[in-house]
Amino acid sequence: MNIRNFSIIAHIDHGKSTLADRLLQATNAVSAREAREQLLDSMDLERERGITIKASAVTVMHRHKPGATSDELETDYEAPVDEAGTHKTKNAADKADSHGDLYMLNFIDTPGHVDFTYEVSRALKACEGALLVVDSTQGVQAQTVVNAYLAINENLTIIPVINKIDLPSAQPDKVAQELEQVLGFPAEECIYVSAKTGQGLPELLATICDKLPAPKPSTMPQARGLIFDAVYDDYRGVIVYIRMFDGSIKVGDKIRMMGLGRTFQITDLGKYTPKPNRVPSLSAGETGYMVAAIRTLADVRVGDTVTLDLHPASEPLEGYQPPRQMVFCDFYPATDEEQRGNSFEELREAIEKLSLNDSAFTFQAVHSEALGFGFRCGFLGLLHMDIVQERLEREGGVQVVQTAPTVSYLVTTRGKGGELVEQEIHNPADLPDAGVIEEIKEPICRVDLILPKDKIGDIMKLCMERRGIYKSQTFVSDSREMLSFHIPLAEIIYDFYDKLKGITSGYGTMDYEIIGYEPDRLVKVDILINGDPVQALALITHKDKSEQRGRQILSKLRGQIPRHQFEIPLQAAIGGKIIARETIKAFRKDVTAKCYGGDVSRKRKLLEKQKEGKKRMKNVGSVNIPQEAFMAVLDTSED
Amino acid sequence: MQDHTELRVIRQRPSGTSRPFLGSSPPLESAAARSLYIHIPFCSHKCHYCDFYSIVDTRDRQSRFTKRLIRELRAIAPNAGGLPLRTLFIGGGTPSLLGLDHWEDLLETLRESFDLQEMRTGVGEFTVECNPDTATPELLGLLRCGYVNRVSMGAQSFHAAHLRTLERHHDPESVPRAIESARAAGIGRQSLDLIYAIPGQTLADLDRDLDSALALGTEHLSAYTLTYEPGTAMTARLSRGEFVRAEEDLEADMFEHVARRLSSAGLIRYEVSNFARPGGECRHNMAYWRQDQWLAAGPSASGHFAGHRWKNVPRLDEYLESDDAGFVAIVEHEPPDARRALGEWLMTGVRLAEGLDLDAGLARADEISPTIRADVCRVIERYASSSHLVRIGARIAPTEDGFLIVDRIARDLLRATDAG
Ligand SMILES: Nc1nc2c(ncn2[C@@H]2O[C@H](COP(=O)(O)OP(=O)(O)OP(=O)(O)O)[C@@H](O)[C@H]2O)c(=O)[nH]1
Ligand code: SF4
Ligand SMILES: [Mg+2]
Repeated sequence: MNIRNFSIIAHIDHGKSTLADRLLQATNAVSAREAREQLLDSMDLERERGITIKASAVTVMHRHKPGATSDELETDYEAPVDEAGTHKTKNAADKADSHGDLYMLNFIDTPGHVDFTYEVSRALKACEGALLVVDSTQGVQAQTVVNAYLAINENLTIIPVINKIDLPSAQPDKVAQELEQVLGFPAEECIYVSAKTGQGLPELLATICDKLPAPKPSTMPQARGLIFDAVYDDYRGVIVYIRMFDGSIKVGDKIRMMGLGRTFQITDLGKYTPKPNRVPSLSAGETGYMVAAIRTLADVRVGDTVTLDLHPASEPLEGYQPPRQMVFCDFYPATDEEQRGNSFEELREAIEKLSLNDSAFTFQAVHSEALGFGFRCGFLGLLHMDIVQERLEREGGVQVVQTAPTVSYLVTTRGKGGELVEQEIHNPADLPDAGVIEEIKEPICRVDLILPKDKIGDIMKLCMERRGIYKSQTFVSDSREMLSFHIPLAEIIYDFYDKLKGITSGYGTMDYEIIGYEPDRLVKVDILINGDPVQALALITHKDKSEQRGRQILSKLRGQIPRHQFEIPLQAAIGGKIIARETIKAFRKDVTAKCYGGDVSRKRKLLEKQKEGKKRMKNVGSVNIPQEAFMAVLDTSED
Repeated sequence: MQDHTELRVIRQRPSGTSRPFLGSSPPLESAAARSLYIHIPFCSHKCHYCDFYSIVDTRDRQSRFTKRLIRELRAIAPNAGGLPLRTLFIGGGTPSLLGLDHWEDLLETLRESFDLQEMRTGVGEFTVECNPDTATPELLGLLRCGYVNRVSMGAQSFHAAHLRTLERHHDPESVPRAIESARAAGIGRQSLDLIYAIPGQTLADLDRDLDSALALGTEHLSAYTLTYEPGTAMTARLSRGEFVRAEEDLEADMFEHVARRLSSAGLIRYEVSNFARPGGECRHNMAYWRQDQWLAAGPSASGHFAGHRWKNVPRLDEYLESDDAGFVAIVEHEPPDARRALGEWLMTGVRLAEGLDLDAGLARADEISPTIRADVCRVIERYASSSHLVRIGARIAPTEDGFLIVDRIARDLLRATDAG
């Protein structure tokens, strides 16, 4: 059997998931009746946000005559719908040989957002090829470049695919030129498709079969499979996604995880077609899932090698770099005024369960005076943080209070004996006394931005305001340039991306990578509410910006903390010295004097919502602080 | 990657259901609805603060709308049980924008399908909302012939600059003229709407608006605080920083000032934002707030009948298209629910100066659960001890201080009905 393993990679929204839909349809894996948009995005959250968060691996069958010209190509097998939902791929398999050879296509739809680059690199390790999708109305964007380099570094064969050619504003030839200019792919090798109408799909399938290499034959008789993902399922325990490189495994085998050294018995093997479809065994070159009575994700490490316990391989496969958490924040259980709500234990359960599903975030129990027991969590980026919070609430059924994100700092202190000690700090509250601090280093990123030429000046200004250092400028096309800066991560985690999108009317794109730590004049700003310092609101910032930031935060807090029956002073301080102050006056009025006529339901729902809204409060002394207030530090806009 | 066996469609288009609870044969006398609300969805321009359903109709759909409305009125009419309607309110939108010929058809349908004898004799109340610049003597005369006996005039402010801030297009001079025309036509009861806490408005400005309104001698006045509703132009402008919202303290001062100034002129606050001379209260709105039943017609109109609450589909095109034997598609249907009904009764009742019949309320609560009764009691006692509520005979009512925080009281009462 011919096998092709490939990933679909692209900048966000360039149409990977839609192209995956078309591939499923063109190979009859999914009948028209079952077809839905972005079928592989199965999480509710993915479907609501219209983005892919988790990579998805599926297997389809396709018949192809090697080297066939495009008018001989055929993809529509007109197969009857299989009500029982059994193996759809038999449609292709059953076809007469005259339709060509049978190909098993294993492909992985990947996320495009910068926070999920690690999902892409995992997927790429399980493949020999990649479809690099570029939107013909948008051209090459920051993640196009980054993802292409990821694939090049893995020595994958890349098929450049120019998508959305059905749109009137499509400029496929111009985009092909950009690909040649920026990444060096010959413009004439680009395949033009519309993932919406299916135009170009036969050529694409033919190119996949003809151009992508078959998996390399086994280099050893022992079985070796790479774990490229794992998910937790309430009923079956952990489901492990495997790409076999050598030998084979079958149901009933006792396997060993080479890194963790644990053994399990395989109870189930299968492939997603995209319905789960059992198979008796998985051999070198194939991709599929494995169930082996693994209880928790802690028993599995993505990137580990699976081998047979009886005939183990001597060397594991090359694994992954574990993802680096760069953004940190605390989650606390939310309670209402009467302290009703979730408990710490419920939060722990939800976090542990989610971590089974997302191994890229870290967590550690913490205690804060104002907020009680909670967890300090680490994330790949801001969107990742957002998504973890939303999944905790949605899938874990807990409500959380989230503190403003910070980055990790390297702090050097001088000990009693004069010796220098460096420690990593994820939480401004952990910062030692200013007196003993010798130096604070912060993470610095290389930020690549692709922009319309006429916005370069504005973006330069933005980057400078964020303590950026200009590095280089690269030609992309007549209308666009790529700029490169070094900027402290702390300056981009808040709202840099929003600002970029705003300034460039959505046309600018960015990617960033941490390149190291550098020292700067950083200070801790404490925020006091009603005289009490609230650790969860403390922040580390550059000295020159501290006063301005302090003022901004207080004014945001003033807008967000509801009035109480008493006056509440707000202060910002550096080492005991007050640098800004504000006051929240006592409340007087809580009435909507509005004409709502007969729409009684609406009025009731509004009041109920406000009533619910109270749940997300935290008591600091006698002050109720809403959840959003802990995020006030996020917003750097002036007002 | 998730288990693909369970693929769910989460974006479901909410589709209107028809109304199983409205019959096409007359109900028992006690079950009949004695009030009717009709929504006319057209405006000549969208005021920036407005979140009522209305459109600036560029496709000339008035006659299609009127035909559809007439079909709907005929379909729902049996639910009035053949008994005289007590209150009828035609609001919008801008009902005065509807053409005279359409008005003739509409009034005729009402006369044919409903018993309007109480309107004719003046015992009943028949209100039409008007914009001062479209309330012409011709229209007012026609309305009078159709037994309309009350007009509600949208004045909002008499200050041209503040009207501009609200993007409200009418000449303040037209208000006295329109009131005069209504009187000349024989429409004896008039009400004015005012809006305050407009960005830039001072207490002195408000006072002048109140003076101008009082000078017109209407028996009724509604004074609303400018509310920034999600999705309105006003809210968008606020978030863009085009103006500064009135300070909470100023809003509170204004809220108190309005009541003081109006009561000294004999108009008493009978609901949070409604003031009237004794006997001049809007009976139709009181029906809403006392949890009576009413029928509803026209897009986005809300009804309450046999314990059901619902809203007609709030989109003109869908309103015109759906036609289930005359009935229209509805949204947000809430079937009868004793707990919800109690919550709503408390919520609207506590906003009235007449307050709530305490014993009746506690009995209702007790029927659902003794815990609810106890919780409701506790909330009432708490606010009574802080002088936000006061006992008047068998009733419990908000004080002037209570009116200022009545949302808080209502939230706590609603929360109390969650218990048990
Ligand atoms: N007109 C047109 N629209 C397309 C085409 N391909 C995708 N789209 C639309 O582009 C949008 C983004 O498509 P997705 O398939 O979700 O993009 P994606 O690359 O998977 O996005 P992420 O997973 O968020 O990175 C959707 O609204 C699609 O309907 C196409 O060929 N033509
Ligand atoms: S006239 Fe009335 S209904 Fe029409 S937009 Fe203005 S406020 Fe809204
Ligand atoms: Mg996607």
